[in-house]
Amino acid sequence: MSARVLIVDARSERSQALEQALREAGFDVVMTIGEQEDLYAAVEQLEPDAVLIDAASPSRDSLEHLGQLGKRYPRPMIMLTSQDSPELTRDAARAGVSAYVVESLMPPLMRSMIDVAIASFEQHNALREELTRTRRSMTERKAVDRAKTLLMERRRLSENNAYQYLRKLAMDRRMNMSELAEELINAADERRR
Amino acid sequence: MMPTPLERRQLTLGMLPLADAAPLVAALHAGFFAGEGLEVTLSIEPSWANIRDRIQLGVLDAAQMLPLMPLAASLGLDGQLTPMLSALTLNRNGNAVTVSRPLFAAMQHQHPGLQPDDPASAGALAEVIAERRASGQALLRFATVYPFSSHRYQLRYWLGSAGIDPDRDLELRVMPPPQMAAQLEAGWLDGYCVGEPWNAMARRQHQGEVAISGHRIWEGAPEKVLGVTRAWHDAHPGTHQALLRALIRTGAWLDDDTEHRRQAARWMIDGGYLDAAPEDVERSLELRDDGIIFSRSVTPWPWRSQTLWYAAQMARWGHLPESESDAAHLIGAVMQCTRPDLCRQATDALGLPMPEGDSKLEGCHEGPWQLEGRDGGTLEMSADRFIDGAIFDPGRLDELLEHYRQLSMLNRPAR
Repeated sequence: MSARVLIVDARSERSQALEQALREAGFDVVMTIGEQEDLYAAVEQLEPDAVLIDAASPSRDSLEHLGQLGKRYPRPMIMLTSQDSPELTRDAARAGVSAYVVESLMPPLMRSMIDVAIASFEQHNALREELTRTRRSMTERKAVDRAKTLLMERRRLSENNAYQYLRKLAMDRRMNMSELAEELINAADERRR
Repeated sequence: MMPTPLERRQLTLGMLPLADAAPLVAALHAGFFAGEGLEVTLSIEPSWANIRDRIQLGVLDAAQMLPLMPLAASLGLDGQLTPMLSALTLNRNGNAVTVSRPLFAAMQHQHPGLQPDDPASAGALAEVIAERRASGQALLRFATVYPFSSHRYQLRYWLGSAGIDPDRDLELRVMPPPQMAAQLEAGWLDGYCVGEPWNAMARRQHQGEVAISGHRIWEGAPEKVLGVTRAWHDAHPGTHQALLRALIRTGAWLDDDTEHRRQAARWMIDGGYLDAAPEDVERSLELRDDGIIFSRSVTPWPWRSQTLWYAAQMARWGHLPESESDAAHLIGAVMQCTRPDLCRQATDALGLPMPEGDSKLEGCHEGPWQLEGRDGGTLEMSADRFIDGAIFDPGRLDELLEHYRQLSMLNRPAR
């Protein structure tokens, strides 16, 4: 029989990806719930072997309480794993995964479940970072374009010359182009006011 | 005496987004950490479980903790078995039990004239519970914040003072404080015991009514402590002392002037330490006789008798394994993890008088009293009574535990 896992996560795209990854690894995901939902009812009715929860969720403290109520409730991973493999707990914490596990769950199974969760969370984090980076670089490019246009209008420069002017000024002032562009735009806005 | 050198200067301290994290925030912003040569980063943690994990994994150097957390971790009950200790009480008082408006109305119906924060509230609740049982209604549901919390044992003590058995007569849960008031209003919760600003907020928004404030359950109860692992302390004794000195001075500053309390509230709000309405944070940190204290009545002093009282409550409700439940064992564990000797080093360095003893009788004083300090001076103390008028004698812990054992055999199935 495969291990039965409950996922508690406020971000649905992430929990969907985690759910799929766990299924592919042979785990039985019994339910995925948001943290506003009734954790007590979910754990008492579904009797999961493990609960995976976002380490940033304040609802962890409710799971701590459930873990104190009896052997059939999952207990915090740090109680069960740290003695022999502190790095697993540390890696999980770094990835933002927190796990609660029943004592009867076989250690290799628990380890593989946590590995899947770590990989899934890390992938999600990487995607989010990528997205933030893309957004940032688009904003930066827009700023440089606006500053260029400003220079073309004010100083009657060609596009290429405006670009070269910006580049040289940025090098002289040890700023990157987008910072300098922002500064020029802000200064122009100030003057207009 | 030469000050002990600092083993390290850059520290990360954990805290929860609560009004009583004010000493940590004020120590940073008023420069008390910097005054000791410390560069502190405050890490706002989402849960007590996270504080425990990150302390046990060594990610945090020290943290704001509930007074039972060092003991629970040292006994292997909270996370990995990790010897932990605390040498400083950060604050006393500041909790309250808030109940839903319908429940408060039902309590008033049973007990006409019942006021908010009324000593008769537990009796009124007992009558409501009896009536609900007689008419076949569901158990009332109350929440606290963490298994090893002062809130849990204050709530249970208050319930027990009116003969309510929390395990039989109620359903008790743990819930993140920011969710509590909304759950109360939605009817999913009937009451909770929590710190500020979550009682002030519920009251202002008419989501609930204060049934009893924590200081009436146990006046001057230790509420948060500064906790570290014993391994961290052993590796950084000088840094630990510098932290203690900085926080003791911050506590004195906070209790010195109402304006300092307001300034601390502003730092907490503007710095994004606490996501709550400014008026609730300011109200929570007001300097008043029945409010939270950070320095008065020797707040910093980590009385072993007070950790022992909490430990006795754990034993009372079956939250300690049988093997840990005898008096000698508990006293030994508390000696290891509640450390007035380390506090004394810091207060001596600051020239502050502190008590001679490490333990005292708890619950003897209805009003202000005086205690002789070690240097022969006089220490001004506040009341320390319990709601049921009991006196806790740490020297007779074994008798109390035996009494609790007999009560529990009479009353209830374990849960």
